[in-house]
Amino acid sequence: MRLFMEQLLNGVAMGSIYALVTLGLALVYGIMRILHVAHAAVYTIGAYVGLLIFNITGSLLIAFPGAMIVCAVIGVMIERFVYFPLLKYPPFVPLIASIAILLCVEEVCRLIAGPYILTFPARLPFPDVSLGGISISSTLLAVYVIAALVLLILWYITTRTELGLAMRAASQDMEISGTMGINSHFIVSITFVIGSAIAAVAGILVGIYYNQVYPTMGTVPAYKTLALIVVGGLGSVPGAVIASLLLGIAETLLIGYANIPLPRDALAFIAMIGVLMWRSEGLLGSSR
Amino acid sequence: MSSYAVTIATIIVIQAIAVCGLNVIVGYAGQISLGHAAFFGIGAYSAAVLTTKLGLSFWTALPLVIGISALIGLLLGLPSLRVREDFLAITTIGINFIVEAVFRYVPFFGGALGIGGIPRIMFFDIRLKGIPFLLLCVGFLILVLLICWWLTRSWASLACYAIRDEEAAASTMGISPVRFKLLAFVIGTAMAGLGGSLYAHYMQFISAGDFSFPVSVGFLSMLVLGGMGTLWGPVVGTLILGILPELFRPLVDYRIFFYTLLLLLMIRFQPGGLLGEESMARRIIVPLLRGFKK
Amino acid sequence: MIQPLLTAKGVSKYFGGLRAVDGVSFDVFPGEILGILGPNGAGKTVLFNLISGIYEPTSGEIWFRSERIDSIPPHLIAQKGIGRTFQIVKPFASLTVLQNVLVARGITRYNHLSKVWGPWGSKGEIRKAMEVLEKVGLLDLAERKAGLLPLGNLRRLEIARALVVGHTILLLDESFSGLRHDEISRLEDLIRSIKKDGLTVILIEHNMRVSMGLCDRIIVLDHGQKIAEGPPLEIQQDKRVIEAYLGGKGIAYAS
Repeated sequence: MRLFMEQLLNGVAMGSIYALVTLGLALVYGIMRILHVAHAAVYTIGAYVGLLIFNITGSLLIAFPGAMIVCAVIGVMIERFVYFPLLKYPPFVPLIASIAILLCVEEVCRLIAGPYILTFPARLPFPDVSLGGISISSTLLAVYVIAALVLLILWYITTRTELGLAMRAASQDMEISGTMGINSHFIVSITFVIGSAIAAVAGILVGIYYNQVYPTMGTVPAYKTLALIVVGGLGSVPGAVIASLLLGIAETLLIGYANIPLPRDALAFIAMIGVLMWRSEGLLGSSR
Repeated sequence: MSSYAVTIATIIVIQAIAVCGLNVIVGYAGQISLGHAAFFGIGAYSAAVLTTKLGLSFWTALPLVIGISALIGLLLGLPSLRVREDFLAITTIGINFIVEAVFRYVPFFGGALGIGGIPRIMFFDIRLKGIPFLLLCVGFLILVLLICWWLTRSWASLACYAIRDEEAAASTMGISPVRFKLLAFVIGTAMAGLGGSLYAHYMQFISAGDFSFPVSVGFLSMLVLGGMGTLWGPVVGTLILGILPELFRPLVDYRIFFYTLLLLLMIRFQPGGLLGEESMARRIIVPLLRGFKK
Repeated sequence: MIQPLLTAKGVSKYFGGLRAVDGVSFDVFPGEILGILGPNGAGKTVLFNLISGIYEPTSGEIWFRSERIDSIPPHLIAQKGIGRTFQIVKPFASLTVLQNVLVARGITRYNHLSKVWGPWGSKGEIRKAMEVLEKVGLLDLAERKAGLLPLGNLRRLEIARALVVGHTILLLDESFSGLRHDEISRLEDLIRSIKKDGLTVILIEHNMRVSMGLCDRIIVLDHGQKIAEGPPLEIQQDKRVIEAYLGGKGIAYAS
């Protein structure tokens, strides 16, 4: 029982991290109908930059915002210099560009920082907690709190501010007419800023959680998060979050607890195909 | 021709066959397939199993291999193409991962060690290797190109082009988008299967890692570079990306970086590829050729 | 009593909270030219999308002859001889004008897997496609890439394609906008000759003079609901119609 609970908690943490990475992807897709695979590149850069700043300053309080700013800038640059000019082409053109960016960034990281796994020996300023005999490490607690905080802030922005209203309107515009209004380019860029900043947070969290930062750390999340936004319903941010949590829990329980010998990374895609067969718009997606 | 050159040339020709198939899916019908390596692998493994475990000859197994690749393309394509088009990219990636996992973990396919001892192709009584094998591959490539050429003159391709350009309008002209996307997909996977079969007999040993997702990205890069939707694009793209590593050999460590950068620049500034309509290559070379004629 | 060719019964289409089309009912009789008017955003194009199968109604029924067509996919509706143009033109940009029409000509083949392998470039097909191009006045642009044409020509291309497909009903969505004076009268003549050939035409149009001149009957939509129906003269004097147009955005009166 105790093992089950511990694995469940791990699963929720895993799912929360997936949710943080998938959020940016879902936001970008909702507003631009582009599969932003390069989001994983932003996430990887977030981890590296965060590690760099932490190594220099010794402080996570500086590392987080620093990485968020760098990633926000990179995200917007990708949007303006790569995606926006390619909008007039069929959707697979920006997708290929996105994949190329991801692969290129991974190589650059490898060339600059080396192919080795770097450690991120930071301690998140949370206490270790023990609840009814189950221990929750500070890292685990940090993941919960930070993820919840990010989701809360995002929820607030999208539902209670004018900016959020504009974002949702632009997303609906895409849904109905398949075109973006001309003056919503600013909204698009802001979306990238928000999504990329969240990716930076996710990258640092993952780096600390697993104590690993390496060039190809974005590869698996890149494709897994794609499956997740499909499962959640393309264009649905809440759906993406729910799908992420479910996957995190499923992966950890099925493999960590029940020891089913499935290749862990294929689970996301199997789940995706299963959901698509049942409901072709995904869990919370909208139909024709 | 040195045996090293023959090796490179053979791989290029085999890949070109697979990329021609990808061209039908991506170039003609405008659908994205990021799992093409999976079908290349399905062809390879089918050929391997049929020739090693069932003792069939390459020639007897060939129609079965193509049939299996097409059939699985149909089965996997059907749910993928039924849903929104953006799903296709993701589901094809998923297909790649899942198929690779099947090859890696199911004992029938040899697990992580793969299948070895695949026999060479016999042409009458000659065991084909080296230049004769290369010529056989070239023969198949020509066949595939002829099929592609014939396709471009058929109503089927007109329907595919229409879907590619404006799916909604195409549907109001009696074209069922799902049906034609599926048709293109099946043709594409059948060609990939053919390439895979040749690959199996060439390498004589295959394993799951030969058909992983980066291979799919590689195929797509070759297609993009050469020119999606053109007849010779797949050949040009495969040729260039096949020869490039030999040129970049001194820069071994930077190779992948240059590839991906090249792909990014190519798709960003010349999405039509080198043979595409708006490409710089065309704009420079065509006037030059006209100059020569005068 | 003449049987209507097309009937809409209480058709509604909601997008989340937005009621694009709200309980619209009407009949279309064979051989008539029916106009659908209304201010911007009234739901006219959504209605066309519902008829041609691109959207499925949230509620209500659409009947063609004695068959319900509201759940049928667009390509099958086209097979019944219902052709349409799009308000935002959708040319097959990478194909030539001639090829654009040829795509439409293939409609008899697309449903049979055995028939799609033949060549589209046969003399007979090209000749028939050229005839249609001549009818809309695009013959000399046949070899031009459709993506390069100006709007006026693209509208004509839309009509050419719709003509090939639509041998019972033609749905024309704002086909007159962006056309010059001479093009407008040419198009009016074309539509009148189409009607003489026995086709039924449903017309979404902002140009009042054209719609009053061409249409046998008119339906007016506002905010997704039908607010008026009748012959042009009645509609012109209908208080609700006048209010809908003056209260919202005006419409262009072509001189």
